[in-house]
Amino acid sequence: MMTSDYEIFSDEEMVEKIRSIDQDFYAVLIERYQNKLLRYAANLIKDKDKAADVVQDSFIKAFINLKSFDIKKSFSSWIYRIVHNEAMNIIVKHQKEIKFPDNIDFKSKEDINKDFERKEIVTKVEKCLEKIPLLYSEPLALFYIDEKSYKEISDILRIPMGTVATRISQAKILMKNICQKN
Amino acid sequence: MPKELKNITQNIMNKIHHDKIKMRPKAYFVIGSLFSFIGLVASMLTSIFLISLIRFFLRTHGPMAEYRLEQIISSFPWWTIIIAILGLVIGIWILRRYDFSYKINFKIIIIGFILAIIITGWIIDMTGLNNTLFRRGPMRGIMRQYFQENNILLNQ
Repeated sequence: MMTSDYEIFSDEEMVEKIRSIDQDFYAVLIERYQNKLLRYAANLIKDKDKAADVVQDSFIKAFINLKSFDIKKSFSSWIYRIVHNEAMNIIVKHQKEIKFPDNIDFKSKEDINKDFERKEIVTKVEKCLEKIPLLYSEPLALFYIDEKSYKEISDILRIPMGTVATRISQAKILMKNICQKN
Repeated sequence: MPKELKNITQNIMNKIHHDKIKMRPKAYFVIGSLFSFIGLVASMLTSIFLISLIRFFLRTHGPMAEYRLEQIISSFPWWTIIIAILGLVIGIWILRRYDFSYKINFKIIIIGFILAIIITGWIIDMTGLNNTLFRRGPMRGIMRQYFQENNILLNQ
């Protein structure tokens, strides 16, 4: 089966095919998402081997529960949410969370958008993510690296869109304070 | 790129082909949702009963606050609290376990749930539905037995 043959189908259409026609179509969805999800999981748990396990377990869990998925919703947000949950279980187990720096002023009046234009900071984000707390690095990675909208991030992390915006904004300030100094 | 990643598709598809992993049937999720709904409704009803019972006790045991408190503590149906907590915990656990796609703010649900219980309990008590249930409704037998077991006078 050539995965490129199915590019015209949306994720949700593929789910419908997997459920009703042929389970082999699941390979198409795995191929579509495995790299993105591995990068996302690796950013969360800072360990590529464990991240690969998390991604595999998430795909298995998603397959088992595929009939609970509502095709009117976004499959992308759904699978990211599963990976998020799996990764959080690993993090809780290993307690690798980075402590929050207490000398950061979030109320700075500086025009942070000017310094941090979207395209320019993608590379910086990837390098800097490990240095900032997960609370902020996760929405930032989803926004800049995975190119998710605020709505999608809100669905994945189950936080209001306003909180997503605040965390991304604060993450930029953190990046400026922590990462640009190094 | 870790070696395992290259094999993720193959590993998972092998498991699917060898029936090591199977999709859960739709009925499984319908039943799960149904149970969680019933659990939540049951815990809510139990809690409403509990709140209205507290107010009922406060009124029926006279003006001595200390005595009233002792009476409530000694004759309180503690099992209803256990059922309410269990119902709530199991309901939320099931919802969290089977729900991946929907954004649910459990803090708001819990706060709303507690407020709904208090308000409904208060309304039931104020409208005298307690007394109706006790004298004529389906709760008659249960309430009568409970009051008799705890030596509470029926005509107060």
